Amino acid sequence: MLRQTERTTARGIDLLAFFAVVISCMPAPVRADDSAGIDFFEKRIRPVLVQHCYPCHSATAKIKGGLRLDVKSGWVTGGDTGPAIQPGKVEESLLIAALRAEGDLKMPPAGKLPQSVIDDFTQWVNSGAPDPRTDDHRARTKKRTIDLASESRHWAYRPVTAGPVPTVSQSDWPRSDIDRFILSRLEARSLSPNAAATREVLARRLAFDLLGLPPTPDELADFLGDTSPDAWEQLVDRWLERPEFGERWGRHWLDVVRYADSLTLRGFVFKQAWRYRDYVIDAFNRDLPFDQFLREQVAGDLLPAESLEERARKLVATTVLMLGNTNLEEQDKQQLELDVVDEQLDLIGRGFLAQTITCARCHDHQFDPIPTRDYYALAGILKNAQSLEHENVSKWLEIPLPLAPAEDEIYRRHEETLAMLQQQLQESQQELKRRGAGPEIVAVGALSGVVIDDAAARQVGDWQKSQYTKRYIGDGYVHDGDGGKGMKTLTFDPDLPETGTYEVRFAYTPGDNRSAAVPVTVFSAAGEKTIVVNERLAPPLEGRFISLGEFRFERGGQSFVIVSNEGTTGHVIADAVQFLPVGTGQTKAPPPAGGETTATANSADSAELQQLREQVKSLEQRVRAAQAAGPKRPTVMTIRERPEPTNLPVLLRGNVHQRGTEVPRGFLQVATSGENSEIPATEGGRRQLAEWLTRRDNPLTARVIVNRVWHWVFGAGLVRTTDNFGTTGESPSHPELLDHLTVTFMEDGWSIKRLIRRLVLSRTYQMSSTLRPEGVAADPENRWLWRAHARRLDAECLRDALLVVGGNLRPSRGGPAFPTELAADFGYVDDSNRRSVYIPVFRNALPPIYEAFDFADPSLVTGQRNTSTVSTQALYLLNHPFVKQQALLTARRILTGMNTTIEARLETAWRLVLGRSPTAAERMATARYLAEISQADPAQSETAWAQVVQALFATIDFRYVH
Amino acid sequence: MLQQHIPNRREFLQGAGCGFGWLALAALASRQSLGAPITPPLPHLVPRAKRVIFLFMQGGPSQVDTFDYKPNLEKLDGQQMPFDDARVIANTGQRGSQQRVMKSPWKFAQFGQTGRWVSELFPQQARHIDDLCLLHGVHTEGVAHGPATLFLHCGSTNQARPSIGSWVSYGLGTENDNLPAFVTIAPSAGNGGPRNYGPAFLPAVHQGTALGKAGSPATEATIGNLAPAGQSAAGQRRQLDLIRELNAAQLAAAPGSSELDAVVESYELAWRMQTNVPGILDLAAETAATQALYGIGSKPTDNFGRQCLMARRLCEAGVRYIQVTYGDNTANPAWDQHSNLPKHAEHAAAVDQPIAGLLTDLKQRGLLDETLIWWGAEFGRTPYAEKNGTGRDHNPGGFTMWLAGAGVQAGLTHGQTDEFGHQAVAGRVHMHDVHATLLHLLGLNHEQLTFRYAGRDFRLTDVAGQVVNEILS
Repeated sequence: MLRQTERTTARGIDLLAFFAVVISCMPAPVRADDSAGIDFFEKRIRPVLVQHCYPCHSATAKIKGGLRLDVKSGWVTGGDTGPAIQPGKVEESLLIAALRAEGDLKMPPAGKLPQSVIDDFTQWVNSGAPDPRTDDHRARTKKRTIDLASESRHWAYRPVTAGPVPTVSQSDWPRSDIDRFILSRLEARSLSPNAAATREVLARRLAFDLLGLPPTPDELADFLGDTSPDAWEQLVDRWLERPEFGERWGRHWLDVVRYADSLTLRGFVFKQAWRYRDYVIDAFNRDLPFDQFLREQVAGDLLPAESLEERARKLVATTVLMLGNTNLEEQDKQQLELDVVDEQLDLIGRGFLAQTITCARCHDHQFDPIPTRDYYALAGILKNAQSLEHENVSKWLEIPLPLAPAEDEIYRRHEETLAMLQQQLQESQQELKRRGAGPEIVAVGALSGVVIDDAAARQVGDWQKSQYTKRYIGDGYVHDGDGGKGMKTLTFDPDLPETGTYEVRFAYTPGDNRSAAVPVTVFSAAGEKTIVVNERLAPPLEGRFISLGEFRFERGGQSFVIVSNEGTTGHVIADAVQFLPVGTGQTKAPPPAGGETTATANSADSAELQQLREQVKSLEQRVRAAQAAGPKRPTVMTIRERPEPTNLPVLLRGNVHQRGTEVPRGFLQVATSGENSEIPATEGGRRQLAEWLTRRDNPLTARVIVNRVWHWVFGAGLVRTTDNFGTTGESPSHPELLDHLTVTFMEDGWSIKRLIRRLVLSRTYQMSSTLRPEGVAADPENRWLWRAHARRLDAECLRDALLVVGGNLRPSRGGPAFPTELAADFGYVDDSNRRSVYIPVFRNALPPIYEAFDFADPSLVTGQRNTSTVSTQALYLLNHPFVKQQALLTARRILTGMNTTIEARLETAWRLVLGRSPTAAERMATARYLAEISQADPAQSETAWAQVVQALFATIDFRYVH
Repeated sequence: MLQQHIPNRREFLQGAGCGFGWLALAALASRQSLGAPITPPLPHLVPRAKRVIFLFMQGGPSQVDTFDYKPNLEKLDGQQMPFDDARVIANTGQRGSQQRVMKSPWKFAQFGQTGRWVSELFPQQARHIDDLCLLHGVHTEGVAHGPATLFLHCGSTNQARPSIGSWVSYGLGTENDNLPAFVTIAPSAGNGGPRNYGPAFLPAVHQGTALGKAGSPATEATIGNLAPAGQSAAGQRRQLDLIRELNAAQLAAAPGSSELDAVVESYELAWRMQTNVPGILDLAAETAATQALYGIGSKPTDNFGRQCLMARRLCEAGVRYIQVTYGDNTANPAWDQHSNLPKHAEHAAAVDQPIAGLLTDLKQRGLLDETLIWWGAEFGRTPYAEKNGTGRDHNPGGFTMWLAGAGVQAGLTHGQTDEFGHQAVAGRVHMHDVHATLLHLLGLNHEQLTFRYAGRDFRLTDVAGQVVNEILS
């Protein structure tokens, strides 16, 4: 234990990594010919290095932290963090600091070396650190040096520029410039584009792409019957204005920003996250300019607002920064804060810029021109925003949402009522106390909730029983005799009947000889919390109890209270601990059991006192009722700018306790052309970050979203690695088209709807997905877009389509996704039949259909979902009750129609499920099936038709958009 | 009509995460069935173990009350002494905080040829002491359950990373076309929940398949969506034939897509799984003697006994990585005795016989030679009383895990803690090292088992991990 001096760092990083902060100075010349110095080195220094340092810092063993100490150049260059020794400058030599083990840096890990050895090293460094060891061929570990000038020539960092639109030979094919770009590449490869898809296929494709839902049979019939030349354009415009558009496209964005309604840790639910989800849907429906959309999400709290409503909306936008799957339980809070910042940087990096910035947390990016400095320049900005309040298990910030005066009035009135009641309660309690009211001694059984008396507490150390000061519970109370400080504790460990929130109250008898600071620690599902109780003051509740607060306890989980006498002066008293369930209204005491009434019976009280006591109880109940039933002021998850902005230092190897040189806040150098916006010392920098992100000369932001939109419309991006535009990502297949679209997009005021409209009106979009053998041979991956990609319905589209076909999609939009009283997401099952975007994204309880059908992992930025084909999907479609239920409901719709022939019913079934008529082969197979399994009366069998519908759900024409 | 070319790992990595390159491979995955390897099994080394069973003692059993005997605690019981408490250090940076040494309430005795000490909490495991390779010097990251549990399973305290079982599935694939490669029995919903058996950025096929859940009786444990509700097997077979016919008709209109072929094929694979799995999980097929061996039928041991027996049956059926969790869904699960150390006895009574039974059973069937059993938790417990109370707090700085079976030296003790059983001082084995060693025994080099995601190669062991060569047989 005590001998263990090695510090295990939070991230398992070896401390030897942390030599040196001073990077600029070159070491002073060493007098290598100083034979006395060399002699000293050989006798006193080298043996120590060999014994204590080589095991981790030599070419023949390990080179931890990039530092070698087996050659001179090793310490001259130093490890990851620069020179380890500054010859002649003891105080600037980190090797000496490490040997002295004064700061965080302690070497060697096995324990401090004798002082005489440290003195030798000091003397050696003072004398210029003579060291005869020459380099061998392995002396210099190769370190990556970023060359911004040359590495910024990577395509993604070049300015966005619109070039000329190419000319094509098949000039009657293109309908737009997009088509010209696509066709010119196809022609260059002697590929021809596919013919147009049928109008039935196109309508289905467009419906899923724009709305995420299948077209209804009526919509389909209208479009197929519309022979006007602009029928397609009209359909597109009509659907772009539908509210379902924002639901579909908002969900795409929610993938990117790893949206979720809970944390994995302890299943904590985000009760306010839905506001952000609705904000996103609304933004897409209103076609909020994308640059503004981003600015609001990064810095909405700092932007001007013209109305309360706008103010609220912009606050809600910043919720996005809070949605990371953070481990609030991390005990090292500095580490935790930097982990949160890192996660936010990943969102901004991969989500908004398609840059893997977080690779540069511990060292310069290995592939892209992102130095660690840039990481900490950005991290410094985000570190200036507070997103957590720290406790054992930290809490995310929620603040009241700004409200219109009329609405605000409702809450204000409630709060006033509550305050008034509380005041009355307090007065009555004081009155009761003043009159020495209440039985002085009560039995445990006479109290409500779960009460653990001091007699039932587990004792450590010697606690003395007393009945000296009256007004106690049970058979007296205990005290520590004002001795054995730090040696005594009491553990109150109840067996709570159910999981829930409890108010915890601590009973003691007050007095002047008591301790004024007794640490009482409550251990609950949210961790531990210590409350310091002043036992010189009278307990505020009934003259007996002080409330320690409300806590959530899990049945079978941690639920106990420890009273300690550590650090106390004066007597430490403990009488009992009471656990009162909150929200159940159970404040009335059960009638005292016969044998348990104590010496001072209630009957001794006057009628007046009785009445006062009743009044207190009734007021208590009313306060609780008002708290439980009254309107809850709406809040928003948001971050809060810290009052005094600071920079961050480089944290060596990402370790929060190893601080390097401070870095001025700033942005990615490689993506900054022209003037770099300054961050004034008085501001945190998020506002400037938002501006920088959406500057027209930022080469990444607009390109990234245009490519995402292309990916979501066509099924594969022009850059296929949608979240990675770095050198390890793929290059664009059509760079000129990407830039052409990006320029137009910005000129269009960053309008997403116009961009989508432009894409789906193209002829490229309307091609069929047919696999022509010559196309497959020449371009199997369809990089050059000679055909449309056939695409799988994603999890939400599949679920929504099943609900639509079954005729029971609940038409409700927005608002909370789950009951407000829900405390944890474990085991949650949603059976609301709402559209998928409105059901909660619970990280511990994703719906099985999401799990099976590649829903985006809500802990990761996801611009591009996996599309796997695994048997669990088949099992889901074959056996899950939800699928069977929707099949049955669909069957009923088919059977209640006017048509009673099998032929007509088949037609209806196919129209409902697949949006087309059955083929001859399909008719035949199905008719035979129906005949076989319900020979008696095939047309009437609901079960048989449900099985047919379920089989249709399992077909590729249902699961795919062609 | 199925794809001819099986891509190697490099080709796969180039394709992965790039949309349609991936699709073709997904189709391949489907063809090879659920849990199938994306690449053909390609161990880097000669595997010593075919599979792993991890017995997860959720919450953290105390090393000094089970396998790591420290007479010093008895001697100094009740004394206040300075310790480097992990929680205090994480919270405040303070070292050497005063803590009260607390002796074990249980007696220790020596067992077996190796004469190693085991407390009376584990009388049955004690009889197998010569089969066990005890690692006394394990240390890990994370002072709280959430971080430490994620670190135990995924090698990271906070970031979303694939579970070790997912890595094994990714590296080795499955031995059985009808079963997933990674099954987790009775996983807990708490402390990371599904992330502890999730694939994170690995393809979804490597997701751990949950068999039952913590808090539900083992008798009800099954894999989701296996049983057709209200439909006879023959009836469903006939319906599958209809699906096949309809899909054949639709494929005729859209020929040439291996992905669509794979979708069609996946229904047949599902059918085979659904037909085979219930038999594997049917414990009634076991003799009364075998059931008794696992403690099935006796109240405290019945549940965990069933789970251990299921593990053996999955093992025989060719599942690569099986985890059995003894835990619950609370934030402070099972072995987490902060306030009442004697409660350890309850948990010990529930797991001891089943674990011993599993060891005996695997041994007598010759399966222990090819199966590695790993026992342990996210951390151990402090040798001193928490807050001077009557329980022990978390201790990530030194605790005991054991390995038994394929590839490790039976009867070996590796590593030790200080004289209090607090910090690992010799033969220190970091959790990354445990992971590296497990992969090594399965024939996988932890530095080569990588996956390219977000622009760089990720591994289970991050940039650390060393195989503990000293314990290999």
